[in-house]
Amino acid sequence: MTDMHKAYGATKALTSGRIELFPGELHVIMGANGSGKSTLCKILAGSVKPDGGTITLDGRPVDIPDPKAARELGVSIFYQELSLSKNRTVAENILARDLPTRAGLVDRKAVMAQAAQVFAPFRDVASDGFSMAARVGDLRPDQRQLVEIAKTFAGNADIFIFDEPTSALDRAQTEAFFKELDRRKAAGAVIVFISHRMEEVFEIGDRVTVIRDGETVSSAPLAETTRDRIVAEMVGGDSGASVFADPPEAPAPGKVRLELRGVSSRRLRDVSLSLHAGEVLGLGGLHGQGQSDLLRALFGLEQTTGEVMLDGAPIALPSPRRAIRGGFGYISGDRQTDGAISGRSIFENVVPIHLFKSRQHILRRGTLTAEVDRVLQILATRHGGTGLPISSLSGGNQQKVIISRWLMDETQVLLLDDPTKGIDLKTKLELFALIRSLADKGLAILLYTSEDAELLANSDRILVFNNGRIVRELAGDDRTRLMLTSAAFEAA
Amino acid sequence: MTHRSLLRTMPPYLPVLIILICMFALNGLAEPNSLSAYAIKGLVSTYLALMFLAVGQTIVIFAADIDLSVGAILGLVNVTVVSLMQALGDTPGAILLSMLLAVGVGAACGALNGVLVVILRLQAIVATFATSVLFLGLALWVMPVAGTPAPRLFWRTFGGRIMGIPFAYFVLAALLVLIFLLARSRFIQRLLTVGDDQLAAFQTGLPVTSIRVRGYIMCGVFAAFAGLCITGDTASGDPNVGGLITLNSVAAAVLGGAALSGGVGTLFGSVLGALVIGLVGSLVFFLGTPSEWQNLVQGLTVLAALMVGILFSGRARA
Repeated sequence: MTDMHKAYGATKALTSGRIELFPGELHVIMGANGSGKSTLCKILAGSVKPDGGTITLDGRPVDIPDPKAARELGVSIFYQELSLSKNRTVAENILARDLPTRAGLVDRKAVMAQAAQVFAPFRDVASDGFSMAARVGDLRPDQRQLVEIAKTFAGNADIFIFDEPTSALDRAQTEAFFKELDRRKAAGAVIVFISHRMEEVFEIGDRVTVIRDGETVSSAPLAETTRDRIVAEMVGGDSGASVFADPPEAPAPGKVRLELRGVSSRRLRDVSLSLHAGEVLGLGGLHGQGQSDLLRALFGLEQTTGEVMLDGAPIALPSPRRAIRGGFGYISGDRQTDGAISGRSIFENVVPIHLFKSRQHILRRGTLTAEVDRVLQILATRHGGTGLPISSLSGGNQQKVIISRWLMDETQVLLLDDPTKGIDLKTKLELFALIRSLADKGLAILLYTSEDAELLANSDRILVFNNGRIVRELAGDDRTRLMLTSAAFEAA
Repeated sequence: MTHRSLLRTMPPYLPVLIILICMFALNGLAEPNSLSAYAIKGLVSTYLALMFLAVGQTIVIFAADIDLSVGAILGLVNVTVVSLMQALGDTPGAILLSMLLAVGVGAACGALNGVLVVILRLQAIVATFATSVLFLGLALWVMPVAGTPAPRLFWRTFGGRIMGIPFAYFVLAALLVLIFLLARSRFIQRLLTVGDDQLAAFQTGLPVTSIRVRGYIMCGVFAAFAGLCITGDTASGDPNVGGLITLNSVAAAVLGGAALSGGVGTLFGSVLGALVIGLVGSLVFFLGTPSEWQNLVQGLTVLAALMVGILFSGRARA
């Protein structure tokens, strides 16, 4: 693949992706968040259409318009988010693309037998409750991941792409998977591997390609490189030269507002932390390592075990209603689905939390309007009147309206889940200045953002997540891009 | 075996089968004659159309789609086939040709729905509602006034007997064989995979668009079969014959265990669901419910049957 590029609107996911794959090798792709490694793989697998570039297969240029075409060319991909049908059986899922038939009808015996054959390398590690006839929806996450792996191997393919295939697997399952990879490699297959575990990469990889900011920066045999070099290449020389300032001076710590002890959930493992009043605590690491899950759990959207203490008193968070009454506020980057009440006015978008908290049923428009104007002013929201629909505002101003919801009444802890997604740079800077001023007023803020530069520039401390665990805390001068990337790839 | 896994391994149509048996028992209690061979034959030949329609509806529901035009397709096929037979004469050859053409009309209607919903991405509920009005309009154009009779040979065959066995039972047997084969076809398995998670099916490399369009065409064909059954049963053409039957087909599919969210259900369950709806109708009749109360009682009974089915299967379905 040479010179591949892809843009989503104004966001350039990939500017100059390049990779060469040889038969019989395991090729690792490394890159920090948003570097474009998944995009490059999805282009090869046909699930993302490139804006340009050429793909050459065995010396011949090819066009890959959709996943079907990719499979026909022998490219098979493991999807990080899985591509399984939960109401179908394990066997039907493994062979979904090409169910064996006899006389025009699906041959159930052959389905079972062939699926069992594909799954054979993992049979001994799949553990209890697993069978070819089980419904995929009834399986545990690790078992589902094994099914997706087997599905990737099913059928004829000679290029296999694995995008973080081991996140839910235990040690024995991972080893069985690596053994199968070795076997396929020996048979001449190409394996492309994306992982967030540096250890793993050196254990099984032959060559590594590093991608940074949508561009391939290096490609070398793993034997000739080192961990530190790869991390340095992922970070780049001066890519810190963004508009974002250096990490802030940590303020004098206020009292502990929020404390978590051993919080676990579907995605979180034993998370403990303390958050002080007036502090912005950043959650870092690669995407999807549990950062959003933690924020959603604290807002009562996910079930957890463990202890959560607010101002020293334990608090249960079974639902968003309770979380809101407890003083939590949640702001998501997915404004359209999780924030804005689309089609309604700015006014109506500011008041709902206040109405809920004050248990007010009959509205006094005058007092309410004054309040709404007050909070919108705090945030310097530019709008043409609170009666206009929220969709008349830019993304950044919509986000300000949503933040202002939480300012009408006392909010203790603000949970920011990638709040600046899809917002232009200038407004981003404004928003972060605003977040800082809220912290200065004593709010405790948990911030997750998918852009490392933003995280570094705005967090007083950073907790780095890997696979649902906090693996490192970065404070003071440790808050550098190099340290952050290095910690993100540390083994869990 | 635990309670949970027992529920998982039972056939998905078991709840509706039990409801069906209960409905038969209730009918028998209310009117012993309702279990006579004659009454059952009447029930089957009246509700064959709904059974075909429910199977067609289930096929699109499998893929998480819906078709609110099946009743209108049925009506269009009904008037088309009667008009064709009148024009072509009442020889066996002409009748068969008319039937074939009518099935083609059903397939074309289905294809139109498929193009609108799948390729032009209109909302399935709204688009198929709109086409239902269109098909009804076409039916009124083909036959402005109800009442043109079907050829004698046609309805005599449908209502008659072969070797002493009512013809309707042969049609029912053909339907059962057809759904037995369909349920084992790769096509239905792929529809279910698409309905389960469309993105996953696309990423798996399945031709999602073509699978869904073919689902709509198949549904149109089944609606045409239903139209032929109605024609045999009523022996005449009536553009408005569709009436309430569309929503009954959806109810039959859901009663039979299909989830409107897609990916779950059986064709056989939907056939049983259609029979349950038929029996509800006859129960209301046999109980001697005053005519002004019939719709109310019928609606409540269908609701109750739906709730029993959901309780029984242990998980609420969309």
